[in-house]
Amino acid sequence: MIQRLLPFLTLIVLFVALCFLSPYFFTETNLSSVVRQTAVINIMALGMTLVIISGGIDLSVGSILAMGGLFGTMAMQSGKPVIVGIAVGLLAGCLCGFVNGTLVTRLKINPFIVTLGTMGIIRGLTLLISNGLPVHQIPKEFSYLGEGRLLGVPFVLWLLVICALAVHIILEHTRLGRYAFAIGSNPDAAFYAGIPVNFHTVAVYSICGMLTGLAGMIEASRLMTGQPTAGQGYELQAIAAVVIGGGSLRGGEGTVLGTLVGAFIMGLLANGSDLLGISPYLQQAIIGAVIILAVTVDELRKRKIG
Amino acid sequence: MLLELRGLQKRFGGVQALKKGDLRVEAGEVHLLMGENGAGKSTMMKIVAGLQQKDGGDFLWQGQPVDFRNPAEAQQVGIAMVHQESLLAPHLSVAENIFLGREELLPLGFVNRPKMMALARRLIDEHKFPLQPEWRVDRLSPAGKQMVEICRAIQHGSSLLIFDEPTSSLSESETHQVFRIVRTLRERKVGVIYITHRLEELREVGDQVTILRDGETIHSEALLTLTTDRMIQYMVGRPLSSIYRREPIPPGKPMLEIKDLSTGPLLKNLNLTVHAGEIVGLGGLVGAGRTELCRAIFGIDSVDTGEIRVEGKLVRIRSPREAVEAGIALIPEDRQKTGLARALPIAANVVMANMESVSNLGFVSAAAVKQTTDKAINRLRIRCENGAQLAGRLSGGNQQKVVISKWVTRGAKIYLFDEPTRGIDVGAKVEVFEVMDELARQGAAILMVSSELTELLQVADRIVVMRQGRFTGELPGRTTQEEIMHLATIESSEKVS
Repeated sequence: MIQRLLPFLTLIVLFVALCFLSPYFFTETNLSSVVRQTAVINIMALGMTLVIISGGIDLSVGSILAMGGLFGTMAMQSGKPVIVGIAVGLLAGCLCGFVNGTLVTRLKINPFIVTLGTMGIIRGLTLLISNGLPVHQIPKEFSYLGEGRLLGVPFVLWLLVICALAVHIILEHTRLGRYAFAIGSNPDAAFYAGIPVNFHTVAVYSICGMLTGLAGMIEASRLMTGQPTAGQGYELQAIAAVVIGGGSLRGGEGTVLGTLVGAFIMGLLANGSDLLGISPYLQQAIIGAVIILAVTVDELRKRKIG
Repeated sequence: MLLELRGLQKRFGGVQALKKGDLRVEAGEVHLLMGENGAGKSTMMKIVAGLQQKDGGDFLWQGQPVDFRNPAEAQQVGIAMVHQESLLAPHLSVAENIFLGREELLPLGFVNRPKMMALARRLIDEHKFPLQPEWRVDRLSPAGKQMVEICRAIQHGSSLLIFDEPTSSLSESETHQVFRIVRTLRERKVGVIYITHRLEELREVGDQVTILRDGETIHSEALLTLTTDRMIQYMVGRPLSSIYRREPIPPGKPMLEIKDLSTGPLLKNLNLTVHAGEIVGLGGLVGAGRTELCRAIFGIDSVDTGEIRVEGKLVRIRSPREAVEAGIALIPEDRQKTGLARALPIAANVVMANMESVSNLGFVSAAAVKQTTDKAINRLRIRCENGAQLAGRLSGGNQQKVVISKWVTRGAKIYLFDEPTRGIDVGAKVEVFEVMDELARQGAAILMVSSELTELLQVADRIVVMRQGRFTGELPGRTTQEEIMHLATIESSEKVS
């Protein structure tokens, strides 16, 4: 039980320690910025949680983020209202996810390979369409999505809470979520039980794509640019968040809460290192070590039970 | 007529798994489907359950021609299958597995968990299964998993239930529990097809028997009039007297001695000696600890107490490497996973355990590899084009020979065969037996695990029977199936979960 709570405790210890170590940590400005910084990875990681539970993986989310952000801002640049632009970003992400899911199920190729391929394809198309140039002509109101406040807290925090609740409910209380667990747990059993495995796999990748599209819009809103090079390396952070939070790359395991904790641990580590003046180079190494440590502890726990 | 199959055909690549599958099942009938491994029983039933599609022939369900594209379509008309290997989602609960694919739903795709829990509990209580609906399936014993599978099939309100060797991993009391359920189903006018290759256990539940051999339906008859001898004859295709039988040779010096060996939660105080030239059979039910004993001798699992002697010398084996150095070879039960590198050529498999002899200063000599491989192919009569052919492309029997050749090349003296004929067709089985016989004649000591009693009787000089991690008796090679079953099952009361 203690080990199951370990990521949680780590997060709390980290939080308390930073409160003492830096006078700038527990300030509204800093905490808001932590929330804003981690929101993008967090929302991507929620989609990734679904995919990983179903036994898959999506390496293309970094590229999807860029494509979603680019298409959304291009729509706004062409004069469409902000809300339409956001919808375009979400839809583009969803479509990318749909393609991933379709390729995985139709070609029956390992999702690692499929999404390694689409990672390049989607990034390439994004650069091709934008000619490598960022989109700048964006209506001012759009900045509210990433930088605005609602009832005193960053608007993205509300978004994050809504997305997290939605994914949690999908996972625990809907057929789609339970099938994701079943497929990740034992794909043969799922197929033999008459579950439409392909349909639900595609659905899971599509939802992941849509959440990534949303993350792309938030990223674009924070930078007020549609960057075709945005999101490089984010896929690894999203996967790390899921894994630190107890998700298993073998499928069948993972929780929304765990993923959120995982993402915030990484967020706090980054923020804390900045505040304490630790070199950003060392930060990367620290986060890498945390990933290995978290998974080791989790494996030990499972072995003890098994 | 509930189900009728006429001349059903199915081909997998180059293998005609089913040539002429005929079967007629009535409602309220328990129909036994018998045949050796690879006879086509499972293929035929997978077609009925919608897991595979027929290539030819007629498939009639309640008089109407059907062809299910997936398991869901078969389940819709009321056909369910209880699988031999557990086909459950290990991370989900018992209740969730029972309702997998047929959840009780609320609007908008939400699952009605309380209702599923309640229904599952009622079902479990009704059949007195030692289960709880909220238990996670990966914590259950094989028997517990089997019961979850059965619950699932019953819950779906099927009119035809297919059991694929459901008792192969169960103790006697659990087996009787399964029989009781089968009888209840028969009273409810459900049709039951029961796949088995155990001859005796089903006398008490079966009505009709259909026997398959080499992909063809050979015979169908009421169980009452069919004698066991004739049953075996139909299954193997020749009278009992002409079945392969090894001529034992006088045993030599003790090669492998096990003294008071205990390890893990299962194995308790085991004593066994295998002599040169001897084949000792290890009988018992699945889960009795036979595979675990092989693993302990071979150094995969550590030995807690007791000693192992090879040719009289005390050895300490802490890893497979040390076992191999001591001259011990293991031919594992799951050939595809742990015995063979399927994606590599035959040659790579043959020299795998014996790189030293074909290399010089760390460089492997292609000529030496070829020479060693050709020798092994000739000696074990492996049917292949040449040593460069991929091992995974060979037939089951020839794959097994490649696994054995790895150890023969190494010059092993003690062979542990764990289910050596699993997934191998009838003809090739005899060839594997002949290889074993030849090894014994050249002075090797052989310990052979097999769940097929007929096989032990054919090959072994004497048979040691295991139950719940202990040896429960020793029988001479010329014993009967009943005696082995008696020792293997009596007083069994393994607990579920």
